[in-house]
Amino acid sequence: MKYFLGIDVGALSTNAVILDVRREIVGYSIVQTGANSTEAAEETLEKALVMANIDRAKITSTVATGYGRISVPFAEKKVTEISCHALGAYYLYPDTGTVIDIGGQDSKVIRVGDGGKVLDFTMNDKCAAGTGRFLEVMAAKLRVSLDELGDLSLQASQEVQISSVCTVFAESEVVSLVAQNHPTEEIIRGLHRSIVNRIWSMVKMLGIRGAVTMSGGVAKNRGVVSLLEERLEQPIHVHTEPQIVGALGAALLALRLAQTAT
Amino acid sequence: MAKREEYIDKEKKEKGKKLFGIFPAQYPREILWAMNVLPVEIWDPPLEVIHANAHLQPYICSVVRLGLELILQGKCEGLDGFLFPHTCDSIQNLSSIVSDYLGVKKPCYFFYHPKSPYQDSSRVYYLEQLKGLVARLEKQLGPLDSSQLKHRVQQGQEVARVLKQLYDLRVQGELEASNADFYRVVRRGEYLSPDDFLPLLEEFLAAAKGSAQGGPAVIMSGVLPNPKEILTLLDELGVRIAHDDLLNCSRRLLVPPSRADDPFEALTESYFAMPPCTTKDSSVSERVDDLLAKVEQSNAKGVIFYMVKFCEPELFDVPQLTGELRKRGVATLLIDCELNQNLSGQLATRVEAFFEMIS
Repeated sequence: MKYFLGIDVGALSTNAVILDVRREIVGYSIVQTGANSTEAAEETLEKALVMANIDRAKITSTVATGYGRISVPFAEKKVTEISCHALGAYYLYPDTGTVIDIGGQDSKVIRVGDGGKVLDFTMNDKCAAGTGRFLEVMAAKLRVSLDELGDLSLQASQEVQISSVCTVFAESEVVSLVAQNHPTEEIIRGLHRSIVNRIWSMVKMLGIRGAVTMSGGVAKNRGVVSLLEERLEQPIHVHTEPQIVGALGAALLALRLAQTAT
Repeated sequence: MAKREEYIDKEKKEKGKKLFGIFPAQYPREILWAMNVLPVEIWDPPLEVIHANAHLQPYICSVVRLGLELILQGKCEGLDGFLFPHTCDSIQNLSSIVSDYLGVKKPCYFFYHPKSPYQDSSRVYYLEQLKGLVARLEKQLGPLDSSQLKHRVQQGQEVARVLKQLYDLRVQGELEASNADFYRVVRRGEYLSPDDFLPLLEEFLAAAKGSAQGGPAVIMSGVLPNPKEILTLLDELGVRIAHDDLLNCSRRLLVPPSRADDPFEALTESYFAMPPCTTKDSSVSERVDDLLAKVEQSNAKGVIFYMVKFCEPELFDVPQLTGELRKRGVATLLIDCELNQNLSGQLATRVEAFFEMIS
């Protein structure tokens, strides 16, 4: 049996997906990237192999993606995360026409065509506003875990307006709001709103096409997804493991690469 | 060939030429050549900005910032004057800072060209501007020799003719040169005398004829191809810049030849025949038509808008240009960055993703 590996080395997490020849996911893994991308790639691969219960030698081809894609020496090919997220999202939800990926250090909106081909894209990669890093900083300031943010914001009956779009200034604003005794859940909801507004302006640039699929770690935050659905006026597909969408796309390309070679 | 600084120094010391620092973008270089001046264009000096920030707001582009820094670091001491064409508000304000506030003890000249929509009076105005500039220059440099001007106008047309040949071959995929090599050679015209630039272009033309690499072709639009790492990245990806809509390249260099006998008339005719440009206030529809023609001629798969951050004249047009091109099925990529900045991983990812999209 042949297997195909996709590795996505992102700013915060490094993810692996192993597919079999029927394009079924047989193993995956999500680990922290840390300070060494190559080591993170090795670690995530080992974990995915354990889950798939296969030897490394059975991997026929590998495609790497993400910012650290050049740090995966065992990958035969490197492809950008934009192409991989589009392909992965299309595989999971074939009606996908738009992908919103909010990752650790950037956010992207991708228009997707037939077969998961990228038609157009836009990226916010110049500052941390509208990214997972923004929420990470704010969660630390509010002394709540990242996992708690979503549920807490859904409990808010009101929201506080965050006027700064810059992460550094927004952090100062949060300090002031805490000092004014605003409830934490209302501040969190305001923070989520500011992310959604940021994403909305990117969506407006490209326009929505078909169904929307969200990928990246922030897609696990139900508060952000809920506000985004409200803004888009349509439901959003979110996979149970939205962080592996890019790695999945890379694994699909690895399979295609092997098929082309034969 | 000697490096820029060495070359300029030699032209002054050995050939007795006057040196003028020229700010972007359109100016009658032939007049300067005819008056024994070597125009040295100031686009993107490789400097760390230390002093200029005190004089400029944070939202001023790096062309202006680096140009001012060049003066403030004392690197223009050897120049005999400055010329400020009225390109945009920021360059206009720079001319004020340099001539009115810094107390720079060098002659500063200003050149105003008409903006579109053009009327009959626009030609008269341009002609007056040319002659007015000559009159001001003559006070510093002595009288203009009309036969020299005629010779230099012809030489300028010859430079444009060879450049056009190079661009035509590039469009047809018959120029072997990489993106980086092509623009390295074209940009040497920013400081070389036509006596040296013309042979260089001819030599390059003869050496570089051949099949271009087989990857997708794109058009690059914007101000100038800097940082040059973008050119290297495109070369590595196998993407050929088949044509450009760059302010400091095709927009002002591909001047259609004039048949006018009078050199002032010839310069005027050429100015009004230049491709559409933001610095001339050309309409968006003219620019769309020009870009679409370039896409069609070169069979390009997309247009990369490569913007200098905060360049208002360019950025104002971009939403409409990209919108119109997308409507016609032409892929577009917008990148804005500071000059001389290293290519970040994020920026490289955008370019690579665009390449994957059009491949």
